[in-house]
Amino acid sequence: MSVPVVPEAGGAAAVRRNFWRGVWRVMRRKPSRMAGAVILVAFAFMGVFGPMLYPDPLPRDTNALYAPPSLRHPFGTDFEGTDVLALVVTGSRYVLLTAVVTAVITVVVGAGVGLFAGFRRGRWDTVLMRLTDMKLTIPGLPLLLVLSTVWKFTSAVEMGLVLGLLGWGGVARAVRSQTLSLRERGFIEAARGLGLSTTHIVGRELLPGMAPYIAMNALVAVTGAVYAQVGLFFLGVLPFEANNWGVMLNLAVFGGGALTTTAALPYLLAPLLAILLLTLGIVLVVDAMDEIFNPRLREE
Amino acid sequence: MITGTGITKTFRQRGGVLGAREVPALRGVDFTIPKCGAVSFIGESGCGKTTLGRIIAGLETYDAGEIVIDGVAMSSLSHRRRQPYFRRIQLIHQDPYSALNPTRTIHQALAAPLALRARQTGRPRSWTDERARELLGLVGLDPDYVLPRYPHQLSGGMRQRVVIARALTVDPEVLVADEAVSMIDVSLRLGVLALLKDLRERLGVSVLFITHDVATARYIGTDGELYVIYRGQVVERGPVETVISAPVHPYTQALLSAIPVLHGLESPGEQRVVPLEASGEHPDGCLFAPRCPFRTERCENERPTLGPAPGQEGGTPQEHACFHPERRSVVAVPVSGR
Amino acid sequence: MAPEQSPPGVRIRGLTVAYRTPAGELPAVCGVDLDLAPGTITGVVGESGSGKSTLALSLLNAVQPPGRIAAGSVEIDGLGDVVALGGEGLRRARGRHVGYVFQAAQNSLNPLKTVGKQVLDLGRSHGVADLRGLLADARGLLDRMGLDGARVLDSYQHELSGGMRQRVGIMLALVLNARLVVLDEPTTALDMITQATILRIVREVHAERGLTTLVITHDLGVVAEVADRLAVMYGGRIVEQGPTRQVLAEPRHPYTRGLLRAIPRLVGDIAEARALPGRPPTLADIPADGCVFRERCPLRMDACETGSPPVVTRGSRSAACHAVRDDEGDRPAVAATTGEDQS
Repeated sequence: MSVPVVPEAGGAAAVRRNFWRGVWRVMRRKPSRMAGAVILVAFAFMGVFGPMLYPDPLPRDTNALYAPPSLRHPFGTDFEGTDVLALVVTGSRYVLLTAVVTAVITVVVGAGVGLFAGFRRGRWDTVLMRLTDMKLTIPGLPLLLVLSTVWKFTSAVEMGLVLGLLGWGGVARAVRSQTLSLRERGFIEAARGLGLSTTHIVGRELLPGMAPYIAMNALVAVTGAVYAQVGLFFLGVLPFEANNWGVMLNLAVFGGGALTTTAALPYLLAPLLAILLLTLGIVLVVDAMDEIFNPRLREE
Repeated sequence: MITGTGITKTFRQRGGVLGAREVPALRGVDFTIPKCGAVSFIGESGCGKTTLGRIIAGLETYDAGEIVIDGVAMSSLSHRRRQPYFRRIQLIHQDPYSALNPTRTIHQALAAPLALRARQTGRPRSWTDERARELLGLVGLDPDYVLPRYPHQLSGGMRQRVVIARALTVDPEVLVADEAVSMIDVSLRLGVLALLKDLRERLGVSVLFITHDVATARYIGTDGELYVIYRGQVVERGPVETVISAPVHPYTQALLSAIPVLHGLESPGEQRVVPLEASGEHPDGCLFAPRCPFRTERCENERPTLGPAPGQEGGTPQEHACFHPERRSVVAVPVSGR
Repeated sequence: MAPEQSPPGVRIRGLTVAYRTPAGELPAVCGVDLDLAPGTITGVVGESGSGKSTLALSLLNAVQPPGRIAAGSVEIDGLGDVVALGGEGLRRARGRHVGYVFQAAQNSLNPLKTVGKQVLDLGRSHGVADLRGLLADARGLLDRMGLDGARVLDSYQHELSGGMRQRVGIMLALVLNARLVVLDEPTTALDMITQATILRIVREVHAERGLTTLVITHDLGVVAEVADRLAVMYGGRIVEQGPTRQVLAEPRHPYTRGLLRAIPRLVGDIAEARALPGRPPTLADIPADGCVFRERCPLRMDACETGSPPVVTRGSRSAACHAVRDDEGDRPAVAATTGEDQS
């Protein structure tokens, strides 16, 4: 910062550059965060590019059904002789895409409703919160079971949409209470006194203060979505059309008898391990959110 | 110029079984804030001075009375039409920590209202950066240092200066400073007070200073006017120096007597007034009577209204609301030889 | 313990309290020497970051991690060196020997219990046998401070005003017959009239019960009203101390002078008052070497850059400033370096 004159919009650019530098600093503070980030990047990579590495349909080796782990098949093979690792990798796209769509919808709807209700207060608040309460009382899993009888969820986006629309209630409530407490702060009142627009106040003044909170909820929603859909496929209420971790678990347990014999064990453990790793990655990264979005903790 | 007449405000507190309890915060207050003037409201916490300040800044509603801004009665306007008028009156918060958004840099904090201003006045966008630097210079800060920083990286005094600079982005006519220095380090307070005084002289803004510390009120301007408020009523009003050196109302006297004396530098005033512990309440009597050491029977049955002080003709500057006005010298005086 | 003992004296020698931060261990209090003479009120004045609250906590050996007492001793009559004390002995000393009125005592009461219940809790945790007597003492103290003791003991925190809570805080500090009392910012957030009342009570109770009192505050006015002796802290060091009236009438250290000039007064020429330039240092930017005040000092010279200015003691007063030693060399200056010889 040797140039005394701040060029037009230069300030904003400097801030943004500082933000990413700050993020890097925060991540470096604990090795666990870096590990979490590496895991998440690996999963993202797997979801995006993984399926391209394998032919479609996956090759079957009928001579090696339920083969034990080996160099060729690190997690063995399934009942058709397909490589389990390949199944996990190709199945990841559906799972992760669903999870991302769910997280986005949860956060956007939840934060939107919460902000609006908390900022407007009064009648809007009452109506929206009653709606949220009603939504929160609907048990998710039974509803999903009922829904799955009429809807086949062939695309991950549809699945994510449903899970997201079922999941925003908690976020909405929490964001609303945060909004209610933040709007009493002096800087919100000052912004109003200066005549700044409501859009500015909500988007620029309120939202950044809730960013760590929203980011954490988004990450937690990802794990929730993964569990929910894997659970649905595992229960077998959804058709087996897609390559899917839940389907793998279902087949391993109910088809391969993984709980009684050892032959199908790698087939069962591989998707479980993937879910575990993903959850671990998220848990490790969530820890950094507060510091990333709070300038005070970030700049220290 | 801003005048208020008969401003009344009652808070309804949710009580226990008996339902809502009514707490009068302001009981018909009249005030005038002249152009480029310095007006101070002083009193204890809960006396209504902060509520009055917020009403004047348009942040709070009032039950009765009228506020006239530059000749326009606010009651004649719709809520929307009123906003531009109240924008000319900017509130400086007591707490500079909560008055700035911790997630936004000073540059961002100033740019938003300036961009709005640029749009309203048809100036180019480049004007905002120029103006931000100009305003920070005006409040005595180094723009290069302050602009890229977050609020937590500045001291309390610097933060309060930024808050003042932000209020100046809309070219206000009045700054309402509510306990604006009470959370700032002692060694830096005077700097902020001097800045407010300076802004009066250089920009012609009026300053409405709300405080429980009478001494700070002087530093906004010795030509200013003091309103002493007790339980929602103005009990004494007059030029700062007159009220300080010759207070008439026993409450003002008690308030001034309570200011610590720097023994060794000063000797205490001869007629210091110590208020009594409140006992009972007189529904129709003087509000201060339960604590007043000079109360008589009349004070318990009749409520005094604001009138001219003794030794002055009607329409003179000092006014009080007391049946037994007597000038007392209660303020500490410097030890001679210093 | 016989009630009619003389009040305890306190000798603080070479006290250094350091806080662990990402930037290493930084001293919030550095080599402080301070005597509290038995039966006196001492006022410690400082701005934010001066280390005054940390100093007060050290008197109870109650500095919380990441802070720790790195060096020095705090000798209290009848207790010995508090720094060496630990565990149960320390717990008993708090309350019994040293009463502490916390900063913002207005908000430090338990909102779910009546004041009486909290007195009983205090009594039980200190093994008081006669709890009935303790409550009577508490009521007596509250009555003495101008409250309706019986009613206050039966009240919850939210039923009391700020000034009343402050008095309850003082009662809790005294009810176990502590003879050494520490008041941390006793009047912050109180109104002028309430502040004057509290200060009067502090003075009167101090005299009646024969206490040794330490008042920590940012407000010179508060100290001027109550304290016999005054110590001015800046950047973790005591830069000047002496009898209150003498220090106020003739401040020696440039910081004390600047602070006095920076306080808004009711009378006098307002043009004479001036804010101190710069800002008080935070823990992170207290200069490690040289005078802590030099950044804001009008008398800054080369000598201030290196080495802490020695504490120059003359009679009952002392100051730590290179400039003071030079321009007031009429009497022999006894240079005492910080905290080396201890008794």
